[in-house]
Amino acid sequence: METMKTPEICDLPQGLFTRAEFHEELSEETGFSNYSYWRSTFRTFFKSNVVKVVVILMLLLVAYTIIYPMVTDRDPYTVALSAREWNLPPSQEHPFGTDGVGRDIWARVWFGTRTSLLLSLAVAVFQVGIGVIVGAIWGFYRKLDTLMFAIYNTLTNVPSTIYLVLIAYIMKPSILTIIIALVSTGWISEARWFRSRILALREADYNVASVCLKTPPKRIISRNVVPYLVSLIIMDAALTIPSSIGSEVFLSFIGVGLPQDLCTLGNLVNQGRSAFLVYPYQMICPTLILCFITISFYIIGNKFADASDPRNHV
Amino acid sequence: MKEKIFEAKDVVVKFNLRGRTLTAIRGASIDLYQGETLAIVGESGSGKSVFTKSFIGMLDKNGWVESGSMCMDGVDFSRYKTEKEWLQVRGKKIAMVFQDPMTSLNPVKTVGEQIREVISYQFGTEKAEAKKQAIELLRQVGINDPEQRYKQYPHEFSGGMRQRVVIATAIACRPQILICDEPTTALDVTVQAQILQLIKKLQKELDMSVIYITHDLGVVANVADRVAVMYAGQIVEYGLAHEIFKDARHPYTKALLLSQPQLGVRGHDLHSIKGSPPNLYKEIKGDAFAPRNPDAMKIDYEYEPPFFKASETHYAKTWLLCDKAEEYCSELAQASAKRAEIAEAPPKDFSNAKPLVSVRNLTVNFKLGRKEFSAVRDVSFDIYEGETFSLVGESGSGKTTTGKAIMKICHTSGGEIYYDGVKINRKMKGHELTDFRKNVQMIFQDPMSSLNERAKVDYIISEGLYNFHAYKNEKERKEKVAAAMHSVGLLEEYTTRFPHEFSGGQRQRIGIARALAVEPRFIIADEPISALDVSIRAQVINLLNRLKNEKGFTYMFIAHDLSVVRFISDRIAVMYKGRVVELAETGELFRNPLHPYTNALLQAAPVPDPDIERDKEVLVYDPSVHHYESEKPYWSEVRPGHFVWANDPELAEYRTRLK
Amino acid sequence: MTRYLLSKLGQAVVTIVLVVLVVFTLLRFMPTAGYFSKEQYKSMNDAEKTAYLRNLGVLDPMPVQLKNFVVGLFHGDLGRSITLYPNMEISNVMAEKIPYSLLLNFISWFTAAIIGMPLGIAMAKNKSGIVDGLGTFYVVVIRAVPSIIIHFFIQVFLSKWFDLPMLFYMDQPISWLLPILSMSIGSIAGYATWLRRYVVDEENKDYIKFARVKGLPGNFIMWRHVFRNAIVPIAINIPSDFLLMLSGSLVIESMYAIPGTGGLLIKSITAMDNPMVQVLVLLYGALSVFGVFLGDIVVSLVDPRIKLVASND
Repeated sequence: METMKTPEICDLPQGLFTRAEFHEELSEETGFSNYSYWRSTFRTFFKSNVVKVVVILMLLLVAYTIIYPMVTDRDPYTVALSAREWNLPPSQEHPFGTDGVGRDIWARVWFGTRTSLLLSLAVAVFQVGIGVIVGAIWGFYRKLDTLMFAIYNTLTNVPSTIYLVLIAYIMKPSILTIIIALVSTGWISEARWFRSRILALREADYNVASVCLKTPPKRIISRNVVPYLVSLIIMDAALTIPSSIGSEVFLSFIGVGLPQDLCTLGNLVNQGRSAFLVYPYQMICPTLILCFITISFYIIGNKFADASDPRNHV
Repeated sequence: MKEKIFEAKDVVVKFNLRGRTLTAIRGASIDLYQGETLAIVGESGSGKSVFTKSFIGMLDKNGWVESGSMCMDGVDFSRYKTEKEWLQVRGKKIAMVFQDPMTSLNPVKTVGEQIREVISYQFGTEKAEAKKQAIELLRQVGINDPEQRYKQYPHEFSGGMRQRVVIATAIACRPQILICDEPTTALDVTVQAQILQLIKKLQKELDMSVIYITHDLGVVANVADRVAVMYAGQIVEYGLAHEIFKDARHPYTKALLLSQPQLGVRGHDLHSIKGSPPNLYKEIKGDAFAPRNPDAMKIDYEYEPPFFKASETHYAKTWLLCDKAEEYCSELAQASAKRAEIAEAPPKDFSNAKPLVSVRNLTVNFKLGRKEFSAVRDVSFDIYEGETFSLVGESGSGKTTTGKAIMKICHTSGGEIYYDGVKINRKMKGHELTDFRKNVQMIFQDPMSSLNERAKVDYIISEGLYNFHAYKNEKERKEKVAAAMHSVGLLEEYTTRFPHEFSGGQRQRIGIARALAVEPRFIIADEPISALDVSIRAQVINLLNRLKNEKGFTYMFIAHDLSVVRFISDRIAVMYKGRVVELAETGELFRNPLHPYTNALLQAAPVPDPDIERDKEVLVYDPSVHHYESEKPYWSEVRPGHFVWANDPELAEYRTRLK
Repeated sequence: MTRYLLSKLGQAVVTIVLVVLVVFTLLRFMPTAGYFSKEQYKSMNDAEKTAYLRNLGVLDPMPVQLKNFVVGLFHGDLGRSITLYPNMEISNVMAEKIPYSLLLNFISWFTAAIIGMPLGIAMAKNKSGIVDGLGTFYVVVIRAVPSIIIHFFIQVFLSKWFDLPMLFYMDQPISWLLPILSMSIGSIAGYATWLRRYVVDEENKDYIKFARVKGLPGNFIMWRHVFRNAIVPIAINIPSDFLLMLSGSLVIESMYAIPGTGGLLIKSITAMDNPMVQVLVLLYGALSVFGVFLGDIVVSLVDPRIKLVASND
């Protein structure tokens, strides 16, 4: 080890070697101020350009699906009697062409998107909603473990497609059937997931502190637990949407989905499929829209999951 | 003079963290001599761990060595870029032991296999031969029956035993240098003493050099030949152990030594270091410690000091050693001489006091799978109004469970707990419970998990006020919050912030303010300083002591280390495996420890004085010294106020010892 | 250890019983038309139909039906198909089809493992580089786009571009290519994401850092330590993967006209063949539960820690 040679030391004024004023406030370093969990989450979320683009396009698409059916005079179910109107390729008149009986695919796609989005939204709301509530109860009452694990094993040990197909087969094909089928196979995993979250939260010291202060359970839930779950719920709901749209397509494919004459993305894709080799646009157009929706929600859900983790906040 | 085998010079390490550059090491240098132990002391964030990791190329992926050199045998490691180059160093030249033995071993491979694979890989030794060597290593680190243990998995070992295995693995390739990164921090005090002894033994046997990283000055005093003190990414003082402990020159080292709770004088404030360590994202001007040093000179704010020589082996990076500061130094020396003349306050007398809390034959059982075990067995004690009562024990001793049972957040399986004459381990009526909760509060160990991250400080502190409707209007509530903030030394305007923005010490103070706000009488503090940095501990201890004097609180302290509670406690109870084995007034317990476990605990706690620590013997408590099969032990008072768990022959022996 | 296995076995038995109960109850809501062949349904009048159903035992109270079914099961009697394979023993139908499903599924499982795992490791090693980017893109597409659409495009486009047969022929191994690709494409994404995340997480673990400090080279650590640990959670699924091969893949087998068991459930549903649906659902259910049980055993073999924690969570 060597001492530094600093010839300038001799030149330093003696006055500097006297007591400096001491400011206690300066000795405390505090972190960045005005931190807000939600603001940081959204800032991190929208930092990615992919997310910006996807969210904007998604908003436009949703707006269009809401507005289009209200303003258009074109009926997606009107069959053209003249064969000249059948299987028309995309044109000014029919941006996505017409199908085998002359129905306008553009109109059908947007009516179908509306149905499918509503359907998957309903599934997301019910599935995550039931999952959170059951998970919360399960997490707070240990006695339910035996019962809930029995249900969990029964529902998850068997592949969910089997239950899905069975329920769809037994009940009359309708939107409600699909919702019930999807929710009844999906809720338990959500509940289990939220249970483990809630168990971890419940054991955390800050919740013990609230118990020591005799904070009523109502407020423990609203102030200590729910704020930690909101981001998880949003993320989960976003990821449920692509999977329920996928399930709808699957059920249509095996013939237990929604009634054939109803406009849904699943039905459109399947109807287009049969004519694919001759008129590929009849399948490709609805498929593109469908894939856009599922991929967007998938990306939004995952990116939101990353953004909602405080460790990723700058 | 021994031969220098390793030299790091002017090392600068930087990290990229989310687009910002952090300078973790700002030009640090050390020398290491053959067969010696160099201890690097510093608090978290000082860069001590990063510094040594850079010697073996183990920096995280976002970090790099910007400049400086690290030379061993004439080779400069700082130029190494690829993993392949580093492989020549790791294991064979320099090995490392990590802090947490629970996570350092692969859980799905046998411990023997994990040692054997290194030997086989590094020397190409045959499997059977390597196995023999591995077993020999296990024996060398003090593992009994190594042939059997070789085949076991890490989870079948206790923490201390795992750390022995980790050490055996690290020395498997006969490294010249062993870096120990806080190897005992995660362990119990008595186990720590054994591991320290083991490291010293191995160092002698293998003639290794050891770099020992720690924040604990007591441990430094025990192991170190030389000491380097690190602050804000720089070595601020470097010298032989006794030079650092007896003749510290840098203001930071001095302050650190003075703030040790072991050195506290009862009845007086502990010397505390103000504020918190600097932010390394910013450029630091002058002496990094100056803003926290009340005796800083003007020059400390202007120019960074160079290393000045205090003796041939002792250097310090402070302007105080400059010729021009002589006058100022003598001024400081006079002031500190005055400070040293304070006398210890006499112990308080509680013989006629009435107990605020009474615990009688408390037992708490837990179910683990199908097995039931007792976390707390038949524990009895009283806590008097106005005293600080400490419950000391190692992990698994049941001390926290006892605290939680008194706090009424844990079930009890037997016995009674009384608070202010009222039995509390039963179902209480609403208003009774409210009353109890208002009066009894808790301070938690980990300030990181004890605050609700999604609530503002204002809500956190007001939580109790809301619950007990302890205010007439919004204005009064605000005043109460401000008063609580003020009494823990935090600015009122912080109430609009979220916990995220505060450092560990500040968060702990917010946690204390939360408990204060409801104006309790009795506070249970569960290891309130063990998760804090050394320089912050004294602040919190002083705060708790001051509050006690101002507001007349009664405390129950839960701690794992006797030395820390000595200075704050009036009485101490020692717990072992769910049982209180000894209880006495603090002075009495330290003068006349009776139970062998108390002795082991006292002996194990490291003291920041190399003269005491150097040749300390390690006492290992072996429960089989008792012969409790023939003569049953019981809880009895050997001397007024001094209780011990013992059987008749032992009691007889203790009594003669006391005479 | 034994106690652990016994508790898991008990759990499996309880689950199978529950699955049987649930499925059996659900099946009572099936349309009764599913018990008739088409001709029968047209020609019979209502009284005849009731008599026919009573004869089948479908109108008995549920517990009795359940008892009869279970007794039949233990005699190896799965019942007979009605509409799909008129009057054939279901067990014979199954026996003929299982080999096809088993073969193809095994090959694709193997393909997925040997492509997916290295892909995941490569992605982790190249974190936020090109390989990782492409891999992530692949995973997103596979995960987000409904699998049927992907299978369909594989069948249509790849068969055209590479001049491959669009349907499956047992004697033309080249025709196996597309179905195997379809079957493995999802699991490849699964293995890749899992392994990527695992390896990335694991690299920050102390014991991996410690292994590096010991002076072991990267590849040695990757295979002997990281991969060895990553296998543990994968192992739990291996038995179910194998058992579920018996049930084939629902969609792909019907797309490629593979005479396996996979299309069977769908076909019996479209043909409204109730006994067939019942047996298939119960069989697949039981297989899955058994697979989960075997998975627990396998995990206890690869993970030494398991002997300690015998609890449910």
